[in-house]
Amino acid sequence: MQLSPSWRVVFHILLFAIALSVLAPMLMVLATGFKPPAEVFDFRPWPVHPTLDNFRTILFETHFLHYFVNSVGTTLPRVAGQVAVGVLAAYAFARWRFPGSGALFALVMVAMMIPHQLTMIPNYILIARLDWFDTWQGLIVPNLAAPFAVFFLRQHFLSFPRELFDAAEMDGASSWRTLWHVVLPNLTPALAALTIVQFIETWNEYFWPLLVTSSDASRTLQLGIRHFLEEDFTNYGALMAGVTLASVPALLIFALLQRKVMDAFLDSGLKG
Amino acid sequence: MQHSGLAGPNVLTVRRTVAPFVYLLPLLVLLGLFTYWPLLNTVWLSLMRWNLNPGVPLQFEGLANYQRLVDSVLFADAARNTAYYILASIPLKVLLPLPFAVGIWALGSSGRIYRVVLFLPTLVSFVVISVVFLWLLNPIGGLVTQLGAMLGLPPGNVLASPTGAFWTIMALSTWKLLGFNILLYLAGLSRINRDQILAMRLDGASDWQVVRHLVWPMLTPTTFFVLVTTSIFTIQQVFTPIDILTRGGPFNATTNLFYMVYQYTFRTFDVGLGAAGTVVILVLLLAITLAKLRFLDRHVHYEQ
Repeated sequence: MQLSPSWRVVFHILLFAIALSVLAPMLMVLATGFKPPAEVFDFRPWPVHPTLDNFRTILFETHFLHYFVNSVGTTLPRVAGQVAVGVLAAYAFARWRFPGSGALFALVMVAMMIPHQLTMIPNYILIARLDWFDTWQGLIVPNLAAPFAVFFLRQHFLSFPRELFDAAEMDGASSWRTLWHVVLPNLTPALAALTIVQFIETWNEYFWPLLVTSSDASRTLQLGIRHFLEEDFTNYGALMAGVTLASVPALLIFALLQRKVMDAFLDSGLKG
Repeated sequence: MQHSGLAGPNVLTVRRTVAPFVYLLPLLVLLGLFTYWPLLNTVWLSLMRWNLNPGVPLQFEGLANYQRLVDSVLFADAARNTAYYILASIPLKVLLPLPFAVGIWALGSSGRIYRVVLFLPTLVSFVVISVVFLWLLNPIGGLVTQLGAMLGLPPGNVLASPTGAFWTIMALSTWKLLGFNILLYLAGLSRINRDQILAMRLDGASDWQVVRHLVWPMLTPTTFFVLVTTSIFTIQQVFTPIDILTRGGPFNATTNLFYMVYQYTFRTFDVGLGAAGTVVILVLLLAITLAKLRFLDRHVHYEQ
């Protein structure tokens, strides 16, 4: 669209203002992580007397590293499981028309819209019965099926030329072989995008860990940060260092794979 | 490699019938156990009186739980606030992103940098944003508090006042979602054919006419879509800032239906009321979804 120069200026000013409102708090948080206590409520977005004390405090004088290990240890197997379960199911939906396939896929679509909060009571009771309360498996197992993963991968599998399935079958390749040697190698970009979205969503999750974690044994980073507040930890410099560290994984992945991350999140936003 | 001649036609047919279910088995078991069975179980629990203590037997209450729920002050406040959250989201999260999206789209390649910056809040967790807000709003020295003092606002804790707490949570969730909704609008705008604009231009159409007669009609389905997802996102995701900043208070000013279910189940241990509240939300979500499907049926050109 051809814009007159005055419109260009108007749009740039508007967009610059909104971008600043996003960036300013982030930069303040980053800077405050490097500020000594006297500067924590100072307006300058940089430390006058930079220090690493806050990072030292949060890493070595709190249980931050415990929480970090719990987050990594529960997020990675959970996402791996979600991708694996998703690949198998999406392959079945994309490759075969079978009795009930439409109804089953509808069940997946409905499950995609059911938030955790609506299934929490029975799931909480189940976890308590299994004696999985405050354990890694309590965080991982109930979340191994991600309906979005099935939906997302099925779309990509459907774009896969059917002739290749037929050719593989003619050659006598089993469906399992076809999946591993023909389909998956061609879908690595989709798998990567899905892994990233699920990783970031799981990493940032609050609700389910709030219900089933209660100690250092399983408390994830998000719940750990909340725990600092509960303990009246008011060293804001250290807190800002902590929230910076907790946000690094997602921001780092984004820095490396901007386009892919944005597209995958848009897909997950468009699903509803 | 196995030769196709070895397997008779019957074996192949059987395999083809069974195979899909073998691949689907893990998904179906997991969804059954952790999504669908809990939904049914919740309906059953909504008819019981129970305090979440495994040693205490469940007592059948029937529909009395729903009566108790509807009569409770917390439900009335939560339902009212849920409506407020959605209503306040329309100007802030559904309409406000529109001019920004049109701006980025119209600027073309020089607008790309804004997309990247505006996407950043999507990556940051609600816990992190809530902690940062607590620091900014700290009654003693918080940067926003200082700014307010400079503007002559009375000192004090914003989160202690019902209005202040509600709008703090709205501001926080707007900061989180605004950029993402701009990207959703951009996805809608990218379907507009630029040649068509050129043709309108050659016919002497003004900027306003292009927006009015081409851009806006093309964006209507996207706008409706953004409205629905934003409503669901808002009532569901503000759970985290509510829990961290206000716990639903002060005087129930920030709680909503989702948080109410948590309060009943895990704060007052009234499982029957929590389950009944869950069923109410479920019906509400179903209604929203049906409305959306009917709308999308009538506007087929939105094919996502």
